Amino acid sequence: MVPQYYEFCCPVKTISGLKALSNLPYEMTLLDARRALIVTDQGVVGAGLIRQVESVFEASDCRIGALYDRTPPDSSSAVVNEVADLFANEACDCFVAVGGGSCMDTAKCANMIVTEGTRDLMQFQGAERLKKPMKPFIAVPTTAGTGSEVTLAAVIFDQDTHTKMAFTSYRLFPDVAILDPKMTMTMPPKITAATGMDALTHAIEAYYCLQKNPISDALALAAIKLIMENLVACVEHGNDEHARLAMANAALIAGISFSNSMVGVVHALAHACGGVCRVPHGVANAVFLPWGMESNLGKAADAIAELAPVLGAAPSGDAKDQAKAAIQAVRDLGKRLNGLCGLPTTLREAGVSEDKLEAIAKAAINDGSVTYNPEEVTYEDALEILKKAY
Amino acid sequence: MGYKAKKAVVRAVLSALGAGFEVVSKRNAELKAEIADWEDGRVISVGVLPDGPAIALKKEGDRIRYLGKGDHNPTLKVLFKNVDAAFLPLAFQMGAHTAFAQHRAILHGNVAKAMQTTRAMAIVQTYITPGFILRKITKRPPRLTAAQCLFKARVLATLPIALAVNMRK
Repeated sequence: MVPQYYEFCCPVKTISGLKALSNLPYEMTLLDARRALIVTDQGVVGAGLIRQVESVFEASDCRIGALYDRTPPDSSSAVVNEVADLFANEACDCFVAVGGGSCMDTAKCANMIVTEGTRDLMQFQGAERLKKPMKPFIAVPTTAGTGSEVTLAAVIFDQDTHTKMAFTSYRLFPDVAILDPKMTMTMPPKITAATGMDALTHAIEAYYCLQKNPISDALALAAIKLIMENLVACVEHGNDEHARLAMANAALIAGISFSNSMVGVVHALAHACGGVCRVPHGVANAVFLPWGMESNLGKAADAIAELAPVLGAAPSGDAKDQAKAAIQAVRDLGKRLNGLCGLPTTLREAGVSEDKLEAIAKAAINDGSVTYNPEEVTYEDALEILKKAY
Repeated sequence: MGYKAKKAVVRAVLSALGAGFEVVSKRNAELKAEIADWEDGRVISVGVLPDGPAIALKKEGDRIRYLGKGDHNPTLKVLFKNVDAAFLPLAFQMGAHTAFAQHRAILHGNVAKAMQTTRAMAIVQTYITPGFILRKITKRPPRLTAAQCLFKARVLATLPIALAVNMRK
């Protein structure tokens, strides 16, 4: 069904394949850039992935101008300012983020500071507040994943006000996203499973939340199919290049989908859980996904039912039965991943103590994602889901 | 409906929303509880790009004061992209969640504060909007107790006076 009105945008050039990373310098030249600032973290460095990036510059006119490898899991305004200073001091002209969502968000925000010529990010909070063209930005994801390589949003923690700052702008899209399977092959099984469930959550929520449209729907279905066919293989056989490439594609496609149709209560709870209890985003999504889907059966059963075949559930009965079968398929996948690598299926397993549930619920209802959830989400609704997921 | 007529409707509803916030926040426990955690002096603006109409609201103590037309240097702005984008939500043909889903409005400021503002607006809307409209535009239509129905009747009775008092702002 075509909605009354929608908007869709994804201007990111996607390069995917074996040895795709070797095109990084060439893509820089197309953007008229010569000196890259690599934004990454210690985990990526430790996995030897930065050596892979360095090697592709060897036979090129382009150079790595600087390397910032101290991006934390939750980026902050202090980190962003350090990166921006390094960019300016080393006369770089292009950001290259090599890592997961935190590295991508850090690079996006540092780009904002460098472009707008101010250290005060607060003034840009919200939507469409950036007016100037940004510096070239190439994203090389090492997880599969957040999809941040194709989204228009960035979130960082402001240390002065102790609040999360969210920025959305069409100018925050990377120019290029490079998917090279060797960049995700070193992910351990549990992180592979968690980031894969993050991608699945993006696709599923994008399919039934309020901003859905025909283009995001088509992408969501494609992403779910790839995840169901390849996630377990990646967890069981991490060296399977083709499965890794498929999952990287699934995460990117899911990222395009949800960037253009938003997410709902599952992400609101996952963000809150991450903020209050430091539960990794993918783990939280994996725990909440079936409960969030279930809480939306009243308003979104038809849409959820349409996911049953692609989730591997045998369609039968009316829409509600099929929707329940789809939810069960997600639960079955969660149990399988739990058996393979210990991915938590409950909040207790994820290390959340019961006395934190109220604080998580209070934070969740202040997350913008609840706006796009089909069902109303009050504090009581959020707490009910949390107790079920505990 | 022509552009000028739509703009007039938008202006009128925004004024009613502003006056409604003042009236409801004076006596309603639910709204007072919702804004209890807001920092004093928070200014919120709701308006239409590029140049209005717009209104501003300010938290003072346990109430919301309607500052009048214009944006009054706000902490947070909810901006409709144009008069056409503003008309359906403000003419009660569409809920806030649908308005955002259809990209009719954007936010300048902190998202958490915006969600708090949306909840406060929903409470005010409960008391200044007829039930049959709420059933059409809200995700979960409110069910009012007898006491709340009585309060709603009082709000609707005093709203025209509040509008007249605030007309010059």
